[in-house]
Amino acid sequence: MTQSSLKDIFVLIKQVPDQSAKAGINPDGTIDRAKAKRMLNPFDRYALQAALHTKKHYGGKVTAITMGPPAALEIILEALEHGVDCGYILSDKRLAASDTLATAYALHKVIKYIGHFDLIFCGLQTTDGDTAQVGPQIAERLSLPQTTYCEDFRIEENKVIAKRVVEGGYEWVKMEIPALITVANSYHHLEYKSFRGARMVQHLLRNEEEKNKYIKTITLDTIGAEPAKCGLRGSPTIVARTDKVSEIGGSCKIHQGASQEQLVSEIIQSTNIKEFLKL
Amino acid sequence: MSEGKILPEIITPSNKEVIVVGEQLNGEIRPVTLELLGAGRDLASKLGGSLSCVLLGHKLEKLPQKLISYGADIVYVADDSILENYQTLPYRRVIVDFLSGFTLPPHIVLLGSTTCGRDLAPRIAAHFETGLTADCTELDIGPYEHTNKIDPEKVGLYPNCLYAIRPSFGESLKARILGPWKNPQMATVRPGIMLPLKPDENHKGEIKTIPVDLKPEDYRAELIEVVHEVSKSVNLTEADVIVAGGFGLGKQDGFELIKELASCFENVAIGASRKVVDIGWIPYPYQIGQTGKSVRPKVYIACGISGAIQHRVGMSKSGLIIAINKDPEAPIFKFAHHGIVGDLYQIIPELIKQFKSNIVKEEKPLVRQN
Ligand SMILES: Cc1cc2nc3c(=O)[nH]c(=O)nc-3n(C[C@H](O)[C@H](O)[C@H](O)COP(=O)(O)OP(=O)(O)OC[C@H]3O[C@@H](n4cnc5c(N)ncnc54)[C@H](O)[C@@H]3O)c2cc1C
Repeated sequence: MTQSSLKDIFVLIKQVPDQSAKAGINPDGTIDRAKAKRMLNPFDRYALQAALHTKKHYGGKVTAITMGPPAALEIILEALEHGVDCGYILSDKRLAASDTLATAYALHKVIKYIGHFDLIFCGLQTTDGDTAQVGPQIAERLSLPQTTYCEDFRIEENKVIAKRVVEGGYEWVKMEIPALITVANSYHHLEYKSFRGARMVQHLLRNEEEKNKYIKTITLDTIGAEPAKCGLRGSPTIVARTDKVSEIGGSCKIHQGASQEQLVSEIIQSTNIKEFLKL
Repeated sequence: MSEGKILPEIITPSNKEVIVVGEQLNGEIRPVTLELLGAGRDLASKLGGSLSCVLLGHKLEKLPQKLISYGADIVYVADDSILENYQTLPYRRVIVDFLSGFTLPPHIVLLGSTTCGRDLAPRIAAHFETGLTADCTELDIGPYEHTNKIDPEKVGLYPNCLYAIRPSFGESLKARILGPWKNPQMATVRPGIMLPLKPDENHKGEIKTIPVDLKPEDYRAELIEVVHEVSKSVNLTEADVIVAGGFGLGKQDGFELIKELASCFENVAIGASRKVVDIGWIPYPYQIGQTGKSVRPKVYIACGISGAIQHRVGMSKSGLIIAINKDPEAPIFKFAHHGIVGDLYQIIPELIKQFKSNIVKEEKPLVRQN
């Protein structure tokens, strides 16, 4: 077996509203993105971990790529703290209201602009869109083999051998490099921030010029993307209407902090569960 | 509508066909395909078009005929050894070539929101640069008035749009997503929701072979091992009460406690999270969630289950959800109706105890009535 070595690992990440925080959640359930608390998409933490694992075992440089408003800098810094080497933020007003197709178009242009890569990691899906579409749509634009729902992988003889979660089991897929992988949330948890990474970010925050060397903010013009294929205009779908679903979400009655007799009798008293008992 | 003006009607070209991309495994049609034919039949009759199914695989034999009895007017078949199991690139090639062969594009293309459908659909949609809505729970056909002036040439009244309706923002909202500007309009649909038609052996349909014409670049990925456990049925979908166990049980024996709790109920079944299925504590037919079964019992008791999104989509429609988890931050407490924070090894025995005394105290009639 020859030792595999990689040069460039890309990881795509997104900043999403924190839905567990109350701020910015409108009464009708929609999100006011300006007011909402922001966070790194939880699914992307697994993609970051996969990219960092790859670097640790097979070498290479990890580049984090995001698309979003300027505030998305926060998640690029977070990625750097975890050990990512550099980052790109695609930020442009003309990207507003992009659906998955337009998003994938813009991101694939960023990838082409940056240049060489061996592997691209994406989160499985986002918590604000839940589509799991952008990864495969980028793979299509770049004509790459892909493994979605990937839970484990290794690299042998310059091929990726990836384990894919499917109904009732698994599959192992062997792919040529370059390739794209969407990482399942049953992959390893993201490790703690690295000391080196945290120091690096502190350093960059003090030194604008250094920061611009490691983190590049780019626009549609930088990457030569056609504005007509981005944003609302480039999106073949729109959300025509939303309705609140009342029966679920945020209404859980929590029973805690009492004796177990008490907790259990509360449950029995406050629900209709007794109706289902065997006589 | 702006300034009371009548919007111009815009008809996006299509042949009005509704196409279901079928799935088969080990010589059987996957249930979601039959469900999609059920949903597709309704859409096709609203459109006044035909319903078809495209099926890829190897040695498909009687399967196309079965699709006809479940409502397909045409079944397009690609039969080749490379297509035996789902693989992204070969399947993508065959479907892309197939859809490119229409003079007028089909109106709607539907796939199951399975690990295959969600792998393949975005590739097809990106190839044709058409709209795709993920993981729908309802579909319909209806008109749409587009008045947004950002894109003036799109303004108009579109009569026959696919309404792709899906949960969003952690299932707290339902969004209606439309993409009438280009056909086919595409959607993936969550398994276990749509109803299949009753099979009708007299339903007439046509079977057509489509080409399998792979290019060298379609061989850049190779399926080297497949581990699938075939699902035998466990009566999960009919039970009134499901008691489900997760990794919080800590050991395989934990399911003994789950069974004991279950034995307190009438018409009850046992369920599990994927994690405990994966580590072999309980077989796959008990798994609930995206890659297991979708269930809707009147009562769902989740014991030591964290509530990952893939588990949630399989059970969030249950009537009463009770979660027992020692972590107050566990996501399951965001969508359960009642939660007990505590160690399941203390809570469950107490539940059993109180249920038993309840049964004795309150429910014991002098004369047993039926
Ligand atoms: C493509 C794909 C498909 C998937 N499909 C499915 C699916 O169909 N179904 C499914 O379930 N999952 C599915 N998963 C996996 C899913 O993401 C989660 O990993 C899984 O549901 C977690 O199982 P769990 O809740 O049992 O385990 P964990 O997430 O480990 O949760 C265990 C819980 O038990 C609690 N706990 C621990 N000890 C105790 C105790 N003594 N008392 C009380 N509580 C305790 C903990 O606080 C924790 O919340 C899928 C994943 C992928 C990527």
